[in-house]
Amino acid sequence: MGHLRRSGTAAHALGRRRALTTPVAAGALVRLLTERFAADLRDLWTDADTVEFTIDAERALDVMRSLRDDPDLDFFMLADAAAVDYGPGVRFEVVYHLFSWKHPAWLRVRAHVDRADPRIPTVTELWEGAMFHEREMYDMMGIIFEGNRDLRRIYMSPDYRSFPQRKDFVLPDDAADSPAAGVNPLERPETWDLSRFRDALTVSVAGSELRGDAPAEAVEDGATLADKSRPR
Amino acid sequence: MTTIDRDTRIPDPLELDRAEEERLRIAAGLTPVRAQVGEYAGFDQVGIPDRPPQTEREVEVYTLGEGEMLVNMGPQHPSTHGVMRLVVKVRGEIIVDIDPVLGYLHRGIEKLCENATYTTVLTYVDPMDYLSTMHNEHAPAIAFEKLYGIEAPKRAEYIRALVVELNRIFSHGLMMGFLALDMGGLTPILYAFINRDEIVDMLSAISGQRMLFNFFRVGGVNFDTNDEFLSRLGTWRSNVMKNIEMNERMITDNEIFRARTIGMGTLTGQQAISLGVTGPNLRASGVPFDIRKAHPYSIYHELEFDVITHPGGDSYARYLQRIAEIKQSIHLIDQIIDRMPHGPVQAQVPGIIRPKPGRAYAAVESPRGLYSVYSISDGGPNPYRFRMRDPSFISLQAVPKVMPGKLVADTMAVMASFDPVMGGVDK
Repeated sequence: MGHLRRSGTAAHALGRRRALTTPVAAGALVRLLTERFAADLRDLWTDADTVEFTIDAERALDVMRSLRDDPDLDFFMLADAAAVDYGPGVRFEVVYHLFSWKHPAWLRVRAHVDRADPRIPTVTELWEGAMFHEREMYDMMGIIFEGNRDLRRIYMSPDYRSFPQRKDFVLPDDAADSPAAGVNPLERPETWDLSRFRDALTVSVAGSELRGDAPAEAVEDGATLADKSRPR
Repeated sequence: MTTIDRDTRIPDPLELDRAEEERLRIAAGLTPVRAQVGEYAGFDQVGIPDRPPQTEREVEVYTLGEGEMLVNMGPQHPSTHGVMRLVVKVRGEIIVDIDPVLGYLHRGIEKLCENATYTTVLTYVDPMDYLSTMHNEHAPAIAFEKLYGIEAPKRAEYIRALVVELNRIFSHGLMMGFLALDMGGLTPILYAFINRDEIVDMLSAISGQRMLFNFFRVGGVNFDTNDEFLSRLGTWRSNVMKNIEMNERMITDNEIFRARTIGMGTLTGQQAISLGVTGPNLRASGVPFDIRKAHPYSIYHELEFDVITHPGGDSYARYLQRIAEIKQSIHLIDQIIDRMPHGPVQAQVPGIIRPKPGRAYAAVESPRGLYSVYSISDGGPNPYRFRMRDPSFISLQAVPKVMPGKLVADTMAVMASFDPVMGGVDK
């Protein structure tokens, strides 16, 4: 692959201080990761310029903190944080890409998140810039970042009740026109009930009653208040 | 500011639910929504969401102290560089806090791309950051080539680097013009657009499109260089240093410009890294991080250039950073033209690409910083997940950090120095 073909001699000739990506350099990182995170780390995988491993959501913050603060690893920069939906009944993944001067490979950390109860600790205390990433993931996928002090919608309007990048998201218009209408149960955005996240969110704002969702008595059969007056 | 008369406006279909909710809240012994909002920040003020605050941060922004008020800047503000709203909390002329409100330009490009074939994705990403269209196409092209396991021919990689550097130059040039414009200097933007149009004409000669070039293909580029492109490139190259110097004479030592940029919006390197600021803005805070050196892609490992940094971290440093980077880009273009090999510009690729299941990450250095694509293939003709990390979206978080204590009039000037493009922010 052309863009990955890097010769050690060319780097030397140009007097570059930093070594270019080689599988050998990635090997050092792999050894280091296996030493440090033996208990947490699964599915270690590497290609020409990426080292990847999988962790559980609960361990995300601790692992990320060690990756950032350990002087041998020194992944000081959060390059990207993205959510991936593997479909209903499977799982969500929050994927972090990290950068370090000491290791000439991208580090990709995939945190598995339970799809039925999507929660993961926030990393905003490590990188303030993760705030917009996490707000976007909450807005698009509905993943709750525990401890994030500004977890609200960023692109969609605040009263929007659905998570449009989920794989089972279908627009009501599409649903009516679809050949599957009435055959397969389609998730309507309006019926997406945020109240089941309410407890988690109330905790995240330190016990105050700031989440303005309807009180529990008002929710019947999984329908929100907004559904009652909406034409079906 | 006008006050909306809530009794005469068209009723909101959700209004009934709100009333019902209100009744239930009172019955449940909770604070009524309206009273709660009123308590936080005067219910009828423009810009206040008519719902209870949802997060700690929202309470912080929308709770008004003694002598404080909220002012909306945008969404249709001429210098927000797109459609964006800043809710600014001010005490007199002094800014206390800023809450950026995004989403006015949200088109769901990631979702669109998940329903497009790999080839057509490269057209959908164009209108994202519309001042760095070539970069927008470069990262997905690299990611898809990784997924599909092909490589672009050498000449295609050189043409890619050439158009990408040209794009960087006009984007940086425009930033300098807009920065001066936001401080009331009208002239530099006119010259910036003259210089930009020279490059845009050149790129439209090679790609056939004026702004949304749609030039990159998986496994190469759409067209080889042609005579019009090369002759325009030659003319441009012989004048460009003169034009940059003229721009520098016009702006760099201007007393008003210096007074309004030096010491404005200062970010330390540590803050910038924590906030995820990348690109020229990060290097202007003294951190020598450039993807072209850190993870060389395309042919950048064969070319020689310096990663310039400025220690200042203020608006002026960010401006000087752009000038220095334009000069480095010209240096790169000279090398690319010298070394450009002969050969094909497009690898043999089928019309519909079906990569093997896998994941690929590709990052490029766009004029605004780290632009990256994370693409997942499930073996089908469309990407299963297509994620774009836009640099201006993340860098925008720096604005509320650096503005408190400064004057309202400087908000746009500082924002322009970060050079966000709302098409990219809102995706």
